[in-house]
Amino acid sequence: MTLTGDAALLPVAVVAPITGAVLAPVLSRLSGRLALVCSLVAMTVSALVLVSVAGTTYGGRVVVEHIGNWRPVHGTQLGVTFAADPFGLTFALLSAVIGAVLLLFTASELGELGGRELGGYASLMQLLLAALIASGLSADILNLFVWFEVAALASYGLTGFFLERPIALEAAFKTMVLTNMAAFYVFVAVAVTYAGHGALNVGQVRAAIGADPRTADVVALGLVVAGFGTKAGLVPFHGWLPDAHTAAPGPVSALFSGLMVNLGVLGIARVVMVTHALHRGQVMVLLTVVGGLSAVVGAAMALVQDDLKRLLAYDTVSQMGVLVAALGVGTPESLTGMVYQLVNHALFKTLLFLCAGAIVHATGMTRLSEMGGLARHRPLVTVAFVIGVAAIAGVPPLNGYVSLGLIHHAVESGHPVLLVVLTLAQVVTVAALGRATYLAFFRRRDDDYDRIEKPTVGMVVSFLVLAGGCVAFGALPNLVLDHLARPAASSLTAGGAYARAVLDFGGRLPVPEATFRYLDPARLLVIGGTIALGLLLAAWVVRHPEPRLMRPLQALHTGGVNDYATYAVLGTVVCVFGLVLT
Amino acid sequence: MILVNYVVAAVVFSLGVYTILTRRNLLKIVMGLSLMESAGYVLLISMAYRRGSTAPVLLKPPPGETEQSLARGNVADPVLQNIALTAVVIGVAVTAVLLVTVVRVAQHYRSLDADDVRGLRG
Repeated sequence: MTLTGDAALLPVAVVAPITGAVLAPVLSRLSGRLALVCSLVAMTVSALVLVSVAGTTYGGRVVVEHIGNWRPVHGTQLGVTFAADPFGLTFALLSAVIGAVLLLFTASELGELGGRELGGYASLMQLLLAALIASGLSADILNLFVWFEVAALASYGLTGFFLERPIALEAAFKTMVLTNMAAFYVFVAVAVTYAGHGALNVGQVRAAIGADPRTADVVALGLVVAGFGTKAGLVPFHGWLPDAHTAAPGPVSALFSGLMVNLGVLGIARVVMVTHALHRGQVMVLLTVVGGLSAVVGAAMALVQDDLKRLLAYDTVSQMGVLVAALGVGTPESLTGMVYQLVNHALFKTLLFLCAGAIVHATGMTRLSEMGGLARHRPLVTVAFVIGVAAIAGVPPLNGYVSLGLIHHAVESGHPVLLVVLTLAQVVTVAALGRATYLAFFRRRDDDYDRIEKPTVGMVVSFLVLAGGCVAFGALPNLVLDHLARPAASSLTAGGAYARAVLDFGGRLPVPEATFRYLDPARLLVIGGTIALGLLLAAWVVRHPEPRLMRPLQALHTGGVNDYATYAVLGTVVCVFGLVLT
Repeated sequence: MILVNYVVAAVVFSLGVYTILTRRNLLKIVMGLSLMESAGYVLLISMAYRRGSTAPVLLKPPPGETEQSLARGNVADPVLQNIALTAVVIGVAVTAVLLVTVVRVAQHYRSLDADDVRGLRG
């Protein structure tokens, strides 16, 4: 059987996990494992459907399906359009494949939970994955909002999954308040755009707004950046993110960090590079500012965390900042680097969170100060964690080296301040993760652990897949660039071609140029320098815990829901008025 | 456009934001979120308004109108009303989840003060 891409199949990629989400709670009455198996089948079906269009899509063609056969007439489209463009498909495929890996991991880690819990868990997980896949494929701003809400509702359930743990409730409440405000912003932005132009299809909105937007359009743009920025966990909208990751089960944190936060980046990218692309001057500056701020603040906060998952969560804030800053630079090279980094981040951050989950599973510990010497007890987890950390640090031949190299090279010309900020963030990131690796795995610990459980088959397989991905995406950069990253960046660089394609029955996207010199001495020197500085900083922080310099920043993270909401509202005001007044 | 509708939407929205930012009672924060959403509904219905138009229910044209004149835009915009309906449904679901969480918080912490519910910080 040969798989040929058929546009009419596209909705199946979303329908399959939703069907699985409905079936899982029913099947869990028979057996909890059955619910997980059903979910795995659903995710596999979804992934296969996406793979079936991948050949055409990465060949530079947008595959378009107008749902319910509501065809566009004279450039007007009232119905919902699904389009597999390379960027969206990359996001959808990542969600389907990594989602399946996470379900496999769950089956081995949380398998001993009761049937009812597993059913609910599998259901929510698939609902979230379905929403992520659908938002990747959606070419309609209202539809994008709806999937944003589906993802949000599922994430509330998953955050508060351990309802008996008070911190889970606390985290769920904060997440709900902030995400709900974000959803409201996106909702109002969509409504204002429709009221002004009578358009919801991405291509139609782009044509209607054009190069000369009204004030209402600019307000909508600011609201979208704030709304999706909250989902992406950008500073100052990030209050919910570390809490949600701390409280949720390991695979759920992995899902949040590896995949869900990318939804925010996807939303911003679609709006900035497609619908509002013809007047995007100021918003690009705004994105570099917000991105640079998130990169530094996230890394700095990660440096002083004691909870391993919380540390990784703050690193996610930092990485999302790097992605958004790269988006803000907006050259073909930086966009290619951004897509590359998005894929890499999904791989290595999922790996790291699964390692954290495996440590909790084995020892029951979450705090770095309690851990130590795990390298002796858990060699496999250690290797996996070190691969993940080395990938983030940009050690060649792992994947982070290529994507960071692309982004930094693109930033070098024309954005000197951003280059300094990103390099600083990178040094601090290396320090934060180096410190965590040392404290958890290599520090001497004299007394033995009370209990230490064996790793399961599901864990080993998940580690192998993700770590293998990290190595493969770093060792074969030209293959990835030619067949994945550059085509995926074409959806963003050629926003006009994408807009025309979704208002029609498909179309071609011109692929941008971007090359990466693997053994560039300057690049190797910079990476070596950041790693050396990072390790020095890590050693210093291990000796002097809780540095005084960091106290004001830590004091700002009060944990109060009112304070976090205040930061988010202030951020929104800055986004909206900053764009309107300039 | 009816100005007072937009003013009401703005006032209700500001009330909602004010409540979220300043009230420490979790139930009041939930109410603030609901207020924000309600402001959204008012805004949408107001934006859908067209002078002299009829409701977007096209079973039979109203007296003095033909189907053609209606199709040329003499009805309120149905899409915005649709979006508002979608938002109402989502709002109900989200409020329900929020209230469930608040109930569980009250059971665990024996308090509804946001200041008591901040174990995760820094």
